[in-house]
Amino acid sequence: MTPRGASVYRWDVSIMAASISGYTFSSVCYHSANSNSDHEGFLLGEVRHEETVSISDTQISSSELLQVVEVHNHEPCAQLFSFYDYAGQVNEESLNRILKDRRKNVIGWYRFRRNTQQQMSFREQIIHKQLTQLLGVPDLVFLLFSFISTANNSTHALEYVLFRPNRRYNQRVTLSIPNLGNTSQQEYKVSSVPNTSLNYAKVIKEHGAEFFDKDGVMKDIRTIFQVYGALQDKVQSVCGEVEQSERVKEKVQEEVNKLKQQIVLRKRKTTDEERRLQEAQNPEPRLTPEENTEPPETSLLSRVAFHTPSTPERPGPSANPPAYADLLSLQNDSLLPFSSSPTSAALLPRPQAVGSPGHPSPSPLGLGLSAGPNPAAGQEDDEEDDDDDSSEYENLVSEVGQLPPVSASVLLQGRPAALSPDGDASVRGSQT
Amino acid sequence: MAVSAVHLESDAFLVCMNHALSTEKEEVMGLCIGEVDTNRIVHIHSVIILRRSDKRKDRVEISPEQLSSAATESYRLADMTGRPMRVVGWYHSHPHITVWPSHVDVRTQAMYQMMDQGFVGLIFSCFIEDKNTKTGRVLYTCFQSVQAQKGSEYERIEIPIHVVPHEAIGKVCLESAVELPRILCQEEQDTYRKIHSLTHLDPITKIHNGSVFTKNLCSQMSAVSGPLLQWLEDRLEQNRQSVIELQLDKERLTQELATM
Repeated sequence: MTPRGASVYRWDVSIMAASISGYTFSSVCYHSANSNSDHEGFLLGEVRHEETVSISDTQISSSELLQVVEVHNHEPCAQLFSFYDYAGQVNEESLNRILKDRRKNVIGWYRFRRNTQQQMSFREQIIHKQLTQLLGVPDLVFLLFSFISTANNSTHALEYVLFRPNRRYNQRVTLSIPNLGNTSQQEYKVSSVPNTSLNYAKVIKEHGAEFFDKDGVMKDIRTIFQVYGALQDKVQSVCGEVEQSERVKEKVQEEVNKLKQQIVLRKRKTTDEERRLQEAQNPEPRLTPEENTEPPETSLLSRVAFHTPSTPERPGPSANPPAYADLLSLQNDSLLPFSSSPTSAALLPRPQAVGSPGHPSPSPLGLGLSAGPNPAAGQEDDEEDDDDDSSEYENLVSEVGQLPPVSASVLLQGRPAALSPDGDASVRGSQT
Repeated sequence: MAVSAVHLESDAFLVCMNHALSTEKEEVMGLCIGEVDTNRIVHIHSVIILRRSDKRKDRVEISPEQLSSAATESYRLADMTGRPMRVVGWYHSHPHITVWPSHVDVRTQAMYQMMDQGFVGLIFSCFIEDKNTKTGRVLYTCFQSVQAQKGSEYERIEIPIHVVPHEAIGKVCLESAVELPRILCQEEQDTYRKIHSLTHLDPITKIHNGSVFTKNLCSQMSAVSGPLLQWLEDRLEQNRQSVIELQLDKERLTQELATM
């Protein structure tokens, strides 16, 4: 870092401000919600350096370097391990394939995990170092989203922390979401300041008339309204284009899914035929039970049919992650939302990181989440069957007193940052 | 229990989040459109952004016109999906405050439940930050109201809620999302119209008020319309890329199938 002018600053005391638009933030949440495993992607945007000079009483100016990180949008990865392997080795070719010409706009990356500590995992740290080098961004940031829920799944929290891991101090940065704030409708004046001066009235009437058109409407208002109208028209028209593109994407996705199913069916048919041929040549007493000839894919089809109007539940761009519905078929066949079994109904749409630690890493608070009959989190897999038992609600009032003291507002007040890096939680949390 | 769980489609969830994050200075609200199945699960397919007709802190009211337009939206969604859709709940945001419903919220919810037992309430809490750990937080919860005994205070009961994957964004959700700038502008126009009708104001005050309107509309455009447009363009580009990749997948798979 080159010193500037007479002021001396240190690399590690610069303040950082970071922001992300509500729409980008929501979009990351949306992609994460659609993912049944951890989800990750890149943050594109801009980093600006602003030097703030303050002059104190002693006339010695001190300057602070303000680093402003603006996240403009995100580039979601379609699946995990798309640019790195199990050892955390980053593949530059894959990286370029994902980013293409957006590579130069990368200022960071993000990861969404469920039920894990707010700390970078070992693999994430390794990946981060490599990305820093490959992308040539010395202060590459890492945005970690972690998702936790109460035992009865009535309340969920999405926590997010922005790290700048390449620094020694002040590694966590506040991420702000600029918004409308106050619409300030109170700023309208409903009365004028009383004034009896005739000169005042004359001058402001004569010269103020410039602002108004013949109907007594302020010209500025018409003008700004036109700007607004044009902008809204554009929003509307791009929205129409997006809608069309969503339908096109859905359609091609369905076609791809159908093809995949056909291929699997064809393969299965071929293996069945081969096996039958073999058995015909070498007859053996049947030791194995009657094989279930219904491939999980047909039940996937029926599940797809249930989830109209639009997309299949888990399309997935490539065959690698097993479809969410397929995984569930291993657990419980009656997970269809409209099945007759009421308690299992709530199981189906709960996306949960496959292989994610059902139990959080040990910490003093665990996930100690409030309310619900069993405050110990991490027993979700077992708990789910009981979740929707109506008797829970009747117990709720009396339960409050039974909650362990630490769980009272953990969900609301958050958890303390883990003091030591986690084990590689992402190994368990990732898709295979 | 009238409701066993709520399944919120992820594209409807997206619109709720957009709406909740649009302002940290006041609570926003909307209605949920969907259906209830035979297992008493409420499926929310879409949401409608509402105007706060009364922005007082202690009140949450929905005007008859809004309810009626919500009903119209339901019919549209019903037409598109071929299934009966209706208003099944409401949502609102709690910026900077706890996700749990206030007493007013619980009472309001109880009132809606009198018309419809299956009506559910969702709350999104956002703009929360733990200064110590620099952790930001967004929470959401689902609740109904229950009266322990006749005449006693209403209390909230928790309803499990799950966000259901929905890989493409539905038409109705997209249209709801782009309604926000329109609604904000409408609110501003209504306020200004009332001010403008005051005849006793001197020109300076009128100019001041006109400038306030201009300023507020500019805020809306830079804070909402602009980012919304950018997000839409990004999404369009993402979709186009996805379609290209999917087409390649399709070709590859078709070839594979042909050789089998």
